[in-house]
Amino acid sequence: MTPGESLLTAEHLGKRYGDVVALNDVSFGITEGITGILGENGAGKSTAIKIFLGLLQPTSGSATILGQNASQSVGVRARLGYMPEHDCLPSHVSAAEFLTHMAEVTGLPPSTARTRAADTLRHTGLFEERYRAIGGYSTGMKQRVKLGQALVHDPAMVFLDEPTAGLDPIGREEMLALVRKTYREFGISVLLSSHLMADVERTCDRIIVLQAGRLVQSGTVGHFTKETETVFIEVDDNRAGLVAALERRGVAVTVDGSGLTIEGPDESVYDLVRDALVEAQAPLRRMAPRRRALTELFHRPGDDAPAGGAAP
Amino acid sequence: MTTPATPRGGTVFDIGYQRYTGPREGRRRGRLAVFKDGVRTALGLGRGGRAKVLPWFFIVVLSAIALIMALIAGAAERFAGPGASERLNLPSHADFYAIASMIVFVFAAVVAPELLCRDRREGVINLYLVRPLTGSDYIVARWGAFLTVMLAATWLPQIILLIGLAMGDASPVGYLRDNWLDIPRFLAAGLAMAAYITTLAMLTASFTTRRAYASVFLVGLFVISTPFTLGLAQEIGGAAGRWLSMFNLTNIPVHVNDLIFGQVSEITEDAPARELPAAVRVAWYFAWTIIPGGVLWVRFRRLTP
Repeated sequence: MTPGESLLTAEHLGKRYGDVVALNDVSFGITEGITGILGENGAGKSTAIKIFLGLLQPTSGSATILGQNASQSVGVRARLGYMPEHDCLPSHVSAAEFLTHMAEVTGLPPSTARTRAADTLRHTGLFEERYRAIGGYSTGMKQRVKLGQALVHDPAMVFLDEPTAGLDPIGREEMLALVRKTYREFGISVLLSSHLMADVERTCDRIIVLQAGRLVQSGTVGHFTKETETVFIEVDDNRAGLVAALERRGVAVTVDGSGLTIEGPDESVYDLVRDALVEAQAPLRRMAPRRRALTELFHRPGDDAPAGGAAP
Repeated sequence: MTTPATPRGGTVFDIGYQRYTGPREGRRRGRLAVFKDGVRTALGLGRGGRAKVLPWFFIVVLSAIALIMALIAGAAERFAGPGASERLNLPSHADFYAIASMIVFVFAAVVAPELLCRDRREGVINLYLVRPLTGSDYIVARWGAFLTVMLAATWLPQIILLIGLAMGDASPVGYLRDNWLDIPRFLAAGLAMAAYITTLAMLTASFTTRRAYASVFLVGLFVISTPFTLGLAQEIGGAAGRWLSMFNLTNIPVHVNDLIFGQVSEITEDAPARELPAAVRVAWYFAWTIIPGGVLWVRFRRLTP
């Protein structure tokens, strides 16, 4: 697999369950890195993942993973990892034994499986607890075991389904850090499925947004947030005068709480703001660029449908 | 003069994450891993003491029965003279499975569900199925694992009995020379019993995620079918009675045992089904093993997480 080459490709992918359309003519490609697949419950995220894992046959189109047809090769799963959202851990065995077993099930020889299980538990922060029965673990530790079993056989790509589900804020931060580490330090590409946009925004390089089985957005996270770059200004006095001065210069300005928000396509807006501040003699308290969060991008008040351009 | 102790120490190097470039042995290794795990789970190996109690209790009881049979035969040979065990018609290899069949059934009812129910209840099966392993691979490996345990539970007592009978004889080598045919017979009869019980127990376990439900159902099935079919079959009589008697689930592999050894055991001598032709009884056994096995395979073949 060369850099830039697609690890995973969907071409006009469709899946129906009777009358229910789970995926409808979805096409995208995923290269190395961390990709988020966003969507509400029932958007088709899990169906897409199951098709790529070869567990479901698509009704139409094709799914290719690591250069092979996903629905025709069981063997390709030896190079894939999957962390399910729901409970999937045995309560009566230790994390070390479980990961060793899962590495063997994926095809690693027993002695290698033991070594890799210990290494993986060290990387996921469970080395000290590895001989305790999983049933006694906290939710955060169980999530780490789930991630560990997906990584123990050193896959080329790992699918993470809602990895932060059920975690407290600290546990969530730690899990997201582990997800970032999975690609940036381990070199394992990630497809992260989530309905939490904040998780995707902070972790992923690219996003794919599904809604009701259709692809509605795809691209880099930076691309979406850059498009919506704004400048936030707070002044101590004469806010109305500043608004008028800005509008005379053709700058779109909206009152945002105690300050003003200016839509700025590029850095020339800062010169216009400086001139307007001088003209209005408004004492500046704070001025800072602000990038919209993905949550704002997809859920603008009053919008039923997500904002943004159509999928490429 | 003492030399000052030099402080022992070392340095731990974090070499970071290491990519794996070694061999990947694919589905063959995966199937073997599920098989090994099944054997360990069934026997409680690598688990706490509680997990070992039930399987080993049954294995010890079955072995103890064989040991007692061997001791009685040995005592008869010693105190009543050579050939006394045959003259007194003392139970031997041909009778062991008939005597121990109910214990073997209960053993399977208690242990087999552990191999399937827990994986589905705890969701571990979802992790198996996203690896290079199909539903068929999984169920065949689990079935094979429990068959192996059942073979150990049925063959080990027969081996103990064989050793006991040989040692109790005035000429152990002569005993083995005269009775060597018993060895392939008890191996074949044990295999027939193990395959039949394994398949029925695994099929039952595949319908529930609760081990207790599967165990109670299986014990009830085996225990209740015996008096129910026997009493009713004798009451009805005739061809209908003989066929009804075939539904005594405990007796189905014992009929095969009787045919292999060429003699009737104590628990089948009153069964009207004994009067049916040998081919019918063998076909009936295969029907009760292959059809449930097929249903079990179909249930897991298309299983997805």
